Amino acid sequence: MIRISGLSFRYRGGSEEALKEIDLTVRRGDFLGIIGSSGAGKTTLLHAINGIVPHHFRGEFYGSVEVDGSDTVENRPEDLARKVGSVRQDFESQMVSSVVEDEILFGLENFSVPRDDIEHRIADALDKTGIANLRERNIATLSGGQKQKVAIAAIIALMPEILILDEPTGELDPKSSRQIFRLLKELNEKHGITVVVVEQKIMLLCEFADSLAVMDRGRIILEGPVREVLKSSREMESAGVNCPRVVTLADRLREERLYDGPAPVSISEAEAMVRSITG
Amino acid sequence: MIGGFLDYSPGDSFLHRLNPLAKIFLSLMLCVSCFVTDSLYFCLFMILLDLAMAAWAGISGRAMAMLEALVKLSALLFLIQVFFIREGNVILLLPMDIRVTDKGALFSLLMALRLIGATMPLALMLSITRMNDLSNVLVGTLGIPYKYAFSLTTAIRFIPVFTAAMAGIIEAQTARGVSFDTRNIFTKIGLIFPLCVPLLVTSVRKIEGAAISAELRGFNLRKRESGYKNYPIRAADIGVFLFAVTVAVLGVIVP
Amino acid sequence: MILFDNVSYSAGGTKIIKGVSFEIRRGDFTALIGANGAGKSTLARLCNGLLKPTSGTVRTGGFDTASAKTSRIAKFTGFLFQDPDRQICKNSVRDEIRFSLECVMEDRDEIEMRCERAIREFSFDGEREPFTMSRGERQRLVLASVLAAEPELLILDEPTTGLDYRECMYIMDCISAINRKGATVLMISHDMEIVQDFAKDAMVLNDGMLLAHGRTKEIIRDRELLARASLLPPQITDLALVLGEGYESVVTVGDMVSAVKERSGSKR
Ligand SMILES: Nc1ncnc2c1ncn2[C@@H]1O[C@H](COP(=O)(O)OP(=O)(O)OP(=O)(O)O)[C@@H](O)[C@H]1O
Ligand SMILES: Nc1ncnc2c1ncn2[C@@H]1O[C@H](COP(=O)(O)OP(=O)(O)OP(=O)(O)O)[C@@H](O)[C@H]1O
Ligand SMILES: [Mg+2]
Ligand SMILES: [Mg+2]
Repeated sequence: MIRISGLSFRYRGGSEEALKEIDLTVRRGDFLGIIGSSGAGKTTLLHAINGIVPHHFRGEFYGSVEVDGSDTVENRPEDLARKVGSVRQDFESQMVSSVVEDEILFGLENFSVPRDDIEHRIADALDKTGIANLRERNIATLSGGQKQKVAIAAIIALMPEILILDEPTGELDPKSSRQIFRLLKELNEKHGITVVVVEQKIMLLCEFADSLAVMDRGRIILEGPVREVLKSSREMESAGVNCPRVVTLADRLREERLYDGPAPVSISEAEAMVRSITG
Repeated sequence: MIGGFLDYSPGDSFLHRLNPLAKIFLSLMLCVSCFVTDSLYFCLFMILLDLAMAAWAGISGRAMAMLEALVKLSALLFLIQVFFIREGNVILLLPMDIRVTDKGALFSLLMALRLIGATMPLALMLSITRMNDLSNVLVGTLGIPYKYAFSLTTAIRFIPVFTAAMAGIIEAQTARGVSFDTRNIFTKIGLIFPLCVPLLVTSVRKIEGAAISAELRGFNLRKRESGYKNYPIRAADIGVFLFAVTVAVLGVIVP
Repeated sequence: MILFDNVSYSAGGTKIIKGVSFEIRRGDFTALIGANGAGKSTLARLCNGLLKPTSGTVRTGGFDTASAKTSRIAKFTGFLFQDPDRQICKNSVRDEIRFSLECVMEDRDEIEMRCERAIREFSFDGEREPFTMSRGERQRLVLASVLAAEPELLILDEPTTGLDYRECMYIMDCISAINRKGATVLMISHDMEIVQDFAKDAMVLNDGMLLAHGRTKEIIRDRELLARASLLPPQITDLALVLGEGYESVVTVGDMVSAVKERSGSKR
């Protein structure tokens, strides 16, 4: 679905390359989480997938990015936009309307979604992100987290084949963060939507994503199924990323020779781990 | 609150529910009638009418704030004008041959009231009309050529983005200790001035960001038929059209 | 330092803060937690006078915010907005930090010294244009310029958004250090682990009302209270609560290891 090979990119005026020889393949129906230190190039990588790089941000671009078989450099961003829905990190400036409903309607209108579909798509998107009560509100009066939910709802409503999200839960409370990831999982499993999400909350990635990529200073230093990647906690630390505390717990118990199984990624798995030790 | 005036204020009043075209037409006619009239009383009446309509739409608070700001501005205008008109009977003679005449005072008052009467309906209309609806009727119903409508609607869409950015930045600088909250208007202008360029740069960046996001959601694929909502013209709208024309005519004939 | 007496605040015909009273003493480190839209940012703005209460009184550093100027309160208050881009208004990292300092102090040499120190400590490139930096880098810039002034009162609205774990810890250590020197900190955060690790006290806000104000370690174990405010306990605490009896005092991974060790030992 997404094939990136030998991708390097340096922003015009940038002193260093923001991306260095990235190779990454995301298959149809994958749920990939990306984590890494700030300034590692996560946003730039997502921009390379939706075509903002190199179409809007100019610079030196080497290598190739293919989305669904066609090269992003040769495609116009608006054609790419039909396939790829992007929730941007800077959601405050993503808003183009003054009323929540219009913000959701905007993309639906542009892509000429059939009239009969529109109402339930809007209602559905608002409902699933938990902001049905904000439908008529002026966006300028919303709280930070409420705006972020609007930004997510506006993209979810489009039901694109590929969803790329840049720190979608940055300003969300713990419950809403989980709700959004559960929603992503549902879209991924039920509708086969390919999900690529950049996120700093490692616990959420471990619980919901299938595979994990860790970025540091422009490179992908680790990539693979979540549990595989978690085994390299040293390397993760060097990239400024922590493991979930239950994984650290498992490591410590292993050191104490109390435990010898796989690392848990959720509370219930951790409970099972502890009970298996204490009986 | 700098950003607040033009923002949409949600509601479900009769005025909110009017066809956007009727709203535009009414506010334009109210505005025009204030310009063409020569009657002080007519102008005053129109301002009262604006306030009454604002109350009807449930935005009295905002209308009063707007009125206050406009009164300050037109007071300034009044002072500038009143000293320059020298015809008529002198009613006040100040040193250095500065004089205020009856004719000058009346004329300046009229100008001041006109300014208020002409600005209020437009600003109020923007408060109860969604930008989206406004741009949709421009393209859909009025049939403004797509190319022009495209630029216009883009500009209209970004007004809230721009005003919100501006208000936010001023708030942030106040929290940092810049005395934007001073009562002295000159000090305030002095403080805003050095921030102007960076403010502009910041706002342009924000708008650039919004433009990229708009493109990612297919803005360039938009066609005239893309609008989802229909805007039927109902009896109430026709009533409003007639009312608007009447007001404009009154503006011309009232002595 | 901050005193709320039956404060309410309304906007657009909606009551957002509903009769809130509390006191934050000089030197406290308090976390303000609650669901999205609970009114946390509004409450923060009430603290430094950006918003004035509709009823009730707010006193900050001895000033009644209803009559004192925000710019006066800002002289001793560092305020971090939820959206970092609001504050940034200069064309280089150095100018941005310097401008923050100029707003609150006079001494030129002191300003230069602090500015250079902040650039060094946060390893910035002083000439960098802020708007070409990544979101996390901008967040750090804004934090650096707020912290450089070492204000008596710090009001931080989600300071760690967009930062990776290592940077979170670095920033939180900086804030802690300033707090130990005597500054009062009010921090809004959604990250329960950070709240647990750094804030001595916590306030839970829900739908404009204060649900609880007390020691963090007690609040964070009150599952029912947290659930009412759309919050979840931090992971290890959550695990301890699930495990139940015998794990009441577990807070850190270390505690958990010893608790497990003890119980497995006693079994053998
Ligand atoms: N003009 C208005 N009309 C109605 N409700 C409003 C208005 N202005 C703000 N609100 C509401 O006030 C509440 C408080 O917002 P605030 O920004 O303080 O929330 P918050 O706790 O900081 O949330 P977040 O965690 O998402 O940042 C929100 O629910 C918001 O929708
Ligand atoms: N427009 C730009 N011009 C020059 N350099 C840029 C530009 N945008 C980003 N960079 C630089 O490229 C690098 C990668 O930035 P990017 O935004 O991809 O980081 P990120 O991993 O998303 O970080 P964060 O977690 O902070 O969002 C950073 O060092 C950043 O400073
Ligand atoms: Mg980023
Ligand atoms: Mg907030």
